[in-house]
Amino acid sequence: MGQTTVVDVNNLSRSFHGKRALDGVSFSATAGHVHGLVGANGAGKTTLLKHLLGLLRATTGSVRVFGLDPVRDPVRVLGRVGYLSEERELPEWMRVDELMAYTQAFHPTWDETYARQMLESFALDPSKKIRELSKGMRAQAGLIAAVAHRPELLILDEPSSGLDVAVRRDILDAIVRTVADDGRTVIFSSHLLDEVERMSDHVTMMDYGRVTLSGVLDDVRRGYQRSHVRFVEHFDQPPVLATALAMEGGGRSWIVVHSGSIEQFHHSVLALGGEVVESRDATLEEIFLARTGRNRQQVEAA
Amino acid sequence: MTLRSPTSATLWELWRVTRAEIAWRLALPIGVGVAALLLGAAFGPADNPASYQRLNDHVAAFALIVIVLPHFVGWLSMAKLNGSRPGFPLYLAYTRPVRTSVMVGLPMAYLTAVSMAIYLASAMVLRVTSGYAFPLQPVAAWIAGLAVVLMMAAWSTRNRVFQVCVAMFAVVKTLVAGMDRITAVEVPDEFDWPPRLWPTLFDFPRTDYAWIALIGLASFVVTIVMVRWDRRGDSVPLAAAPRALAGVITRTPDGGLWDWLVGLFRVPCPTASATRAQVWLDLKSNGMPPLTIGVALAIVILLMSAVSGPIDAAINADPDVKCPIAECFYVRSAPPLFLTPLSLVTVFFFGGNAFGIRWRQGRTYVSPFEATQAYGTAQLAVLKLLVKSACVLAGLIAIAVSFWISIPLLGDAVFVQIWGVPLSSRRSVITDAFTALTGYEQLALAVVAAVGVVVWVASWAALGALRTRYRRLITIAVCLLLLYGVFFIWLGVAVSVDPKTASQLHLDVVHRAMRWIAAVATVSTTVYVFWSGFADHVLTTRYASGAVALSAAFGAAWLTVLHIAGVQLAGMSAMNALSVVWPALLPLMASGLAPWSYSRIRHT
Repeated sequence: MGQTTVVDVNNLSRSFHGKRALDGVSFSATAGHVHGLVGANGAGKTTLLKHLLGLLRATTGSVRVFGLDPVRDPVRVLGRVGYLSEERELPEWMRVDELMAYTQAFHPTWDETYARQMLESFALDPSKKIRELSKGMRAQAGLIAAVAHRPELLILDEPSSGLDVAVRRDILDAIVRTVADDGRTVIFSSHLLDEVERMSDHVTMMDYGRVTLSGVLDDVRRGYQRSHVRFVEHFDQPPVLATALAMEGGGRSWIVVHSGSIEQFHHSVLALGGEVVESRDATLEEIFLARTGRNRQQVEAA
Repeated sequence: MTLRSPTSATLWELWRVTRAEIAWRLALPIGVGVAALLLGAAFGPADNPASYQRLNDHVAAFALIVIVLPHFVGWLSMAKLNGSRPGFPLYLAYTRPVRTSVMVGLPMAYLTAVSMAIYLASAMVLRVTSGYAFPLQPVAAWIAGLAVVLMMAAWSTRNRVFQVCVAMFAVVKTLVAGMDRITAVEVPDEFDWPPRLWPTLFDFPRTDYAWIALIGLASFVVTIVMVRWDRRGDSVPLAAAPRALAGVITRTPDGGLWDWLVGLFRVPCPTASATRAQVWLDLKSNGMPPLTIGVALAIVILLMSAVSGPIDAAINADPDVKCPIAECFYVRSAPPLFLTPLSLVTVFFFGGNAFGIRWRQGRTYVSPFEATQAYGTAQLAVLKLLVKSACVLAGLIAIAVSFWISIPLLGDAVFVQIWGVPLSSRRSVITDAFTALTGYEQLALAVVAAVGVVVWVASWAALGALRTRYRRLITIAVCLLLLYGVFFIWLGVAVSVDPKTASQLHLDVVHRAMRWIAAVATVSTTVYVFWSGFADHVLTTRYASGAVALSAAFGAAWLTVLHIAGVQLAGMSAMNALSVVWPALLPLMASGLAPWSYSRIRHT
């Protein structure tokens, strides 16, 4: 069965004051899936999401959401999108119930029962002004406004920021899964890799404005191994091993994150007089650190 | 870079925050002052030494005002430190291991010293350029005193009402005291403080410096005490009696005056349509404040007019009060002559920023919350403009009506000596003239006034949006326009001093050029924004048709108003006809420029 492409970004580049924020980014999201965007601060995640919402105009490349340009056709795009911004910027003077009513007016599909349920589950007082809410409560109010009209595409920029662990694990996860199970699409950015690993079907890694890795989460994880390697010889510097991306350790014992052919990796270990003691699929965090070069000892050859 | 101590780190931070403001505080007054002085020297009537001297004396006085004026405004860039949050701007430093006296004293000393240095540098440059003896340390000392008091007002409390009141009092008191000092001697056939007398006039007594030092010290101590309380999160430790006053001083208004005005009217948000909801949002957040302010000022004008008559009578009736006749009349003339224009300007001022552009820590941006609502860009821009314009217009009407009702309360005699005609007689003349107009002519006047307000609101909104998007370019353009304006005003002054000079020719050339530039700029901007708006799908044919229809209606109304004013286009030169008809193009330009500029900030 063919999958419907909801978001299609092609070769998108963007600079701010001469600094490259996005560099030839291509990205697509299909219906019914949860897409996690991961990357360090300043990697370009928010810039990419802003392009999807039409808040930024594509200067190079193209952006299509539901097959439409969000800058040229904001009504038809934004009417089907729910968005929670990273800054949680909501009108300070509004009360929570006014925020709900205002948002409802723009979306005929608004589900009042669902909105009320969520207000109750977050224990938000509808008569409180946004100004009087804590950061976490603002995030909760913004989240309700973003999902209560049951959007076809839900875009969440760092949704966990400000939410406590219980709300994050129980409510946010549930909302995101419900949206995806209904055949709708979620794109969310986060730098909490365990969260992305828990919630996403697809993952896209960004670094310095580029997409460094993108694919189905399980495939991505299967493509990377973390191995504990022991050598007879003592190495002061990381030894050169085929397919290795990053290494940690010292002397005779090294932890290696590697991708590609496992046989080739084993051969290169044997060739240096070592053995693979233990091997397993790498976690997303290990993959991210290896791919972005933020591990302590990055293998140049990789 | 290594910063060896908290002091050097704080000074470095202050320098980084204020350096841009220091640059413009130096460059702008010096630029304008030097330009005016050079123009005076170059184009003054050289064949008439008396006129030449008189003109250049006026220009030197103007230059002195220009270099002093920026110091009546506090340090705007300090708001970058706290995002315009009222109170002590370096509040983030509360967690640093620095004593409060140092935390307050260092920035106070730095900003005071910089204020003095800026003035002294400006005065020295003008001295060298013109040869006039621009005063140095006396004015610098006054500026230092004012700077410390303004900082005390802004930093001691988060209560904006208290801040504004103290700052206004300090500024007015400084101005009045300064003017008293320099106009103490009556100079015949000349203005009271000619440059040749500056060394004497600005030779202030030593007691002035002692007072300035005392006021500065008191302000410093008050600021330290108040900031210390704020730092500890303490309430003001006072006895019961002054506690209420202290509460007023230190209370943090819940979101400030603007938010209070926004929350004043409780109207439920309609959910039936996006347009109604958006009107509700703009009405509450953008429209109600100018309308409320306009209505409040209208009430004040009415009340003041009602009480000023009895006050005047009481003062005049009291034989012990030696009331100069002009000053007694001043009490009664305050509502119409001072308060009404000020109120109109205030409402027009609050008519800016119709797009709700926000400002935080030196960054201007449009609210992403509104920008991500499913509403068309042009429709959103127009809706915002119409709501704001309607509220501004209502505020203006309230003030005008209040003024109109107030006139009979002021009495007849007051204005006979000011304008030579009683205002009440003017009222009847205006009433007669308006009733003599045909219905169509009255409608034309109403259309011109209403569309004029919309164009005003749209122009400011567009300027704000363009400044957000193209900050540097717009700043340069505005500065050039200001310089052009200064040049034009200067030429006007030069011609009025001595019309038989080459300045008349220059004035004609500049005036002619200005008219052509305005017309060409209007037409080319209109063409460009409509073309670009269509290309970006911001504007539609339906929208453009509406804009053209509205502009045509305004054009017809404008021609009717010209006819009422007795302006005859027939027989007029092409240049003059262009100048007179040109404003009719403004609605069309504004109707294209406003949505186009909003699109530039919604989709950056």
